[in-house]
Amino acid sequence: MTQTEKQLTEKESLDLIAMMINKAKDTCHDTGIAAIMWGAVIAICSLVRLSEIHVGYKLPFDIYLLTFAAVIPQIYFSVKEKKERKAKAYGDVFFDNMWMAFGICIFLMIFITGSIYSGLKPMTEEYQKLTGHSAPFHFYEFNSSFFLLLYGLPTFVTGVSMKFKPMLWGGLLCWVCCIVTIYTTVKIDLILTALSSIFAWFIPGLIMEKDYRKAKKGLAAANV
Amino acid sequence: MFKDLDPILHSQLRLAVMSLLISVKEAEFTFIREKTNATAGNLSVQIQKLKEAGYIDVTKQFRDNYPLTVCKITKQGIKAFEEYVANLQSYLGKG
Repeated sequence: MTQTEKQLTEKESLDLIAMMINKAKDTCHDTGIAAIMWGAVIAICSLVRLSEIHVGYKLPFDIYLLTFAAVIPQIYFSVKEKKERKAKAYGDVFFDNMWMAFGICIFLMIFITGSIYSGLKPMTEEYQKLTGHSAPFHFYEFNSSFFLLLYGLPTFVTGVSMKFKPMLWGGLLCWVCCIVTIYTTVKIDLILTALSSIFAWFIPGLIMEKDYRKAKKGLAAANV
Repeated sequence: MFKDLDPILHSQLRLAVMSLLISVKEAEFTFIREKTNATAGNLSVQIQKLKEAGYIDVTKQFRDNYPLTVCKITKQGIKAFEEYVANLQSYLGKG
């Protein structure tokens, strides 16, 4: 921008407005780090649990505790991103709150499904003892469906609102897998959960990170 | 009948600042400087003029012991900007 106050024509004014609005739009990029991390964490948890069931070994700890541990880097990334963010877009507050609400819902869902499972467990054991057959209904077989239902919601809304197709399709995939997992075995459920987290978060996160780096590079070049 | 263009907005740097601020909820001084490529001194003067006109709010804070200036467009600023754009369009449409 020139330092002297140049008299603008009407056309120049409109062009300047359009250029500055586009410049502001270009800066509102997500780093994608959180999406990459959560995509990887959920995929690892699901695949490790699958290997435990398939191979028949048991880790000395519950692999899903990794999701609790991942909250610490998540807080670190959120604080760092907020500090680095020099402009706040109108949608930022909405997306931040939506993903925070999603996180709360996930932990509530873990608590709810855990309570239902521990409530039903004595009944299914009693059934097996009395009849000699395995119970016809196992609640844990539906666990993945509940979580995939939740995974799809913020992913789809983010994809549609930000016009970011990888997340839009990722959100839809979560819901398709949510329906499929009702009818499949736990092993397939775990594969579908891993697949959903890779396509809904990990891959879109990588794309976002690439775009962010590109935008940062562009900005640095423009300031030289 | 053409309306006169708002003299506060009809200036290159002030219009650039307002166009940026209408697109975001709020922005730091350094962000505006990066986007407009203006010098800190010139930008400060123009921001002060916009503030005096009631078009933007300027908040001074501290982050990690460093001063931080955050600018935000006001309702009056949005109204003035919209009127300015409408006037520009009428000039271009009829001119």
